[in-house]
Amino acid sequence: MTTLVADSVVAAPVVVHRPWWRGKMVQTGVIVALMYLAYRAWRLEYPWPVSLTWNTLPVHLDDFQTWLLDQRNAENPSFVFAIFDAFATFVDNLVAWFNRLLLWLTWVGTTVTGIVVALRFGGWRAAAWVGTAFAAVALMGLWEESMQTVALMLAAVGLSLLVGIPLGVVAGLSNRFMKAITPVLDAMQIVPAFAYLMPVVILFSVGPGAAVVSTMIYAIPPAVRITALGIRGVASNTVEAATSLGSTRGQLLAKVQLPLSRRMILLGVNQTILFALSMVVIAGLIGGGGLGDVVTSGLYSDPALAILAGVAIVILAMALDRSTEAVADRTDPARHHLSDEGRRRLHVMSVALAVGVVAAVVIAKALGAAAIYPETASAQGRLLARIQGWLDYVTDPANFVFKITEPVGNFIFVQFFQPLQEFLVQAPWVTTVLGLTAIAFIVSGLRPAITTLVMLVWIGVMGMWEPAMNTFSQVLVATVITVLIGVVLGIWAAESNTVSRALRPVNDVLQTMPQLVYIIPFVYLMPISGVPGIVASVLYAFPVVVRLVERGVRDVAPDTVEAASAFGATRRQVLMKVKIPLASDAIMLGVNQGIIMVLAVVVIGGLVGSEGLGYLVAIGLQRGEFGIGVVASLAILALGIALDRVTQATRRAREERVA
Amino acid sequence: MSKKVGARVTLMLGASLAVIGLVISGSALGGASQSCDTVTLNEQAWTGSTANTYVAKYVLEEELGCAVKITKITEIPVFQAMADGKVDAVLEDWNHVDQYQQFVTKQKSVVLVRSNGLVGHIGWFIPKYLLKQYPSFKTWKGLKGKESVFKSPESGSQGMFLGGDPSYVQKDKELIELLGLDFKHVTVGAEPAEVARFTQQIKQRKPVIFYWWTPQYLNASLNLTEVKLPPRFKGCQDDASAGGGVKKYKCAYAADPLNKLLSKEFVQSGSPAVKVLRNFKWSNADQNLVAKWIAGDKMKPDAAAEKWAKANKAKVNSWLK
Repeated sequence: MTTLVADSVVAAPVVVHRPWWRGKMVQTGVIVALMYLAYRAWRLEYPWPVSLTWNTLPVHLDDFQTWLLDQRNAENPSFVFAIFDAFATFVDNLVAWFNRLLLWLTWVGTTVTGIVVALRFGGWRAAAWVGTAFAAVALMGLWEESMQTVALMLAAVGLSLLVGIPLGVVAGLSNRFMKAITPVLDAMQIVPAFAYLMPVVILFSVGPGAAVVSTMIYAIPPAVRITALGIRGVASNTVEAATSLGSTRGQLLAKVQLPLSRRMILLGVNQTILFALSMVVIAGLIGGGGLGDVVTSGLYSDPALAILAGVAIVILAMALDRSTEAVADRTDPARHHLSDEGRRRLHVMSVALAVGVVAAVVIAKALGAAAIYPETASAQGRLLARIQGWLDYVTDPANFVFKITEPVGNFIFVQFFQPLQEFLVQAPWVTTVLGLTAIAFIVSGLRPAITTLVMLVWIGVMGMWEPAMNTFSQVLVATVITVLIGVVLGIWAAESNTVSRALRPVNDVLQTMPQLVYIIPFVYLMPISGVPGIVASVLYAFPVVVRLVERGVRDVAPDTVEAASAFGATRRQVLMKVKIPLASDAIMLGVNQGIIMVLAVVVIGGLVGSEGLGYLVAIGLQRGEFGIGVVASLAILALGIALDRVTQATRRAREERVA
Repeated sequence: MSKKVGARVTLMLGASLAVIGLVISGSALGGASQSCDTVTLNEQAWTGSTANTYVAKYVLEEELGCAVKITKITEIPVFQAMADGKVDAVLEDWNHVDQYQQFVTKQKSVVLVRSNGLVGHIGWFIPKYLLKQYPSFKTWKGLKGKESVFKSPESGSQGMFLGGDPSYVQKDKELIELLGLDFKHVTVGAEPAEVARFTQQIKQRKPVIFYWWTPQYLNASLNLTEVKLPPRFKGCQDDASAGGGVKKYKCAYAADPLNKLLSKEFVQSGSPAVKVLRNFKWSNADQNLVAKWIAGDKMKPDAAAEKWAKANKAKVNSWLK
């Protein structure tokens, strides 16, 4: 009875009855079965044919790099390089200047300034976060490195916003520009940084300048996307009203659209900061310095130190995240209206705080405070010993942790990963191409199917068929696990505020901790190739799925839920029959984003034993095999585009049906 | 309105800080040291490199009064860094032949100084305890027919061979095939991941065979032994990624002297540090010892370098001559 009612409430997304053989699941199953039969019959007999391969592509790319190197290092290099040089020098100086400033203020002055700025613009909570972060890096004995990273981030984030926000404004105003720029932004986020480090070094040399450029490539897209979203989100009747009152386009933008999307733009700043911080370790490889260097060398000689530096990065990220979020909330014109009295108070407060900062710096300098917090006064030694103790315990094969994780890792490998990998890599290429295209057609329609076909053939032509299928098998296994964990935790978090609150710091840590830091311990725990790479992908990707699913389930219109409960639906029925079906769009968005995130860390897998494209990209940088690295990155991009279009179109198809 | 006031105050604050900052930077430029100036050494991620870089740093600072800056740029990009004069010296380079061709031979922007005294040697290693049960594992011939001793869930019925860091020179897949051994070559990833894989096996006293090398500080504590591979012959090669006929790989890895790199700009600068870095030379044992102090005993690199330099005055003095 109650079930019936609940069903009728959510009639929209439930598909009308169809003959069983027309169900998408069944059709997909049939295709997979056919592919499997082909695999059994012609296993290993039809690898991608050499005649259909553009063999010379990597060689051409290598030649291009050599040519670029020759041009760059010629007696009289072209004036173009002078422009790159000038930019690199400018950024080098900027970072050095920030660095000197942070040191000159002394550790006391820097801390006071940071707290005061957070207090003035973000309030007490923001100030508390910033204060905690400074205290933490001081205690960890990583003050100097943290300040180097902060200086680098100030430059990288500032420049990313300088480029990203104007582009975002244009993209918000013009649909055509938005369409043109979206694939570029996709590529900037999917192509692994390892692939473009070498070209960046050739053009910008090494040092903070090059580190900032490679960080910008990854951090600009969120600034553009979220700014555009903000501009588009300004209510159309407000825009119309302003236009009808005779505003020019410039006035409309300056007085209506920008102020009203300020909160969104500040959230874009927040995301830009987090994306930039996730590049700290990679930027360190080409002279970024700071905490990134500590992580890299720690991995070889002192894993506990690498973890400590990773934690410092996480704490900086959390403090910056929470304080920029607080600033964004405060500037929300809808929530925050000041009276004249309030303004005056704020004015007085600003002056008082500014005086406070100057006084603190002067006093600190007069008392001879050091430029950096003295390492001897830190708890670094004790912290390292503690972390090492945990590491030793966890990685000791005699302990019960290992007795659980090793068989789990072996199980994933033997039961899922290896069979799937063999199936995809060894099946005849024609059946795989046609089969995957057919599945794309069944689940999401003609256009995504064509995209899939084109991308698969392009991967094959580039000579990347086998590694790409290997990577695809990793992505599939990782995505299944990610979605399982993400959906379960997301729904749970939507139902329970306690779980939601408990998950937030977990998400923060997993998203901002450099993956290499926590993935090496996993190699100890699950010593079997491919599995640590899958774990890295899952850990990086599932928080996003959790967040999207949680939001989707929470956003289900409350009156629908009330209606269902009024008719006597139990809590479980409301969840299963109302909330989850209505949140399926958000869940599909979660799947889509999850896949993209899984692909984004494929290179990390290559560093801990996964074969395939990630491995080739890693070799590309580390052995100077530029051509192979670029081609493998293009294959990752192709795989990403196909998977993105297929999952996105599934969502769109659903949306249309619901509408 | 309030925003504007706030902005103005921050602006004023920012401007005053900017002025102060500029004053500082100006004064900092004034007092540079006369004789040696700044020398930039590049340290690589592995601990051996930390050891030799910090010993050189200690000597340059103590004996010549140089200010030594240490960068940590990864192996391939560091060549461009030297060409640009941003890094003065690399004290341990594992024969990056392609880069030598581009930067040393063609562009002449990097100067190659053969041999830093270290001899790099790659090989197949097993833990010594295996020899008790399987004395024949001393040579590759003794592995034949017994490969399944090394089997794992990952390799099925074959033996598992743990391959090296993808960024290091290797030819093990080819060697396994040429020698007709029933091993599955398993990719284990970067050096720390490989260490994780084989230490886990060794801690459980399980059989394990892997790509490994010397000098490496872990060798002192791990008690490993090398499996003898076929002898080297003329034209025998080690880097499978270089391509060419597969037959060239059927031999043990060479024992290659490792090299130092100096930037041309640095060499031409006339700095007294050039001579010292050209002379710098020490042994595998020296490097492993200092690396063990740093990574094993958690000594600070500066302190470890000082300890070694003070105990090895004669060696240090020979660099200063």
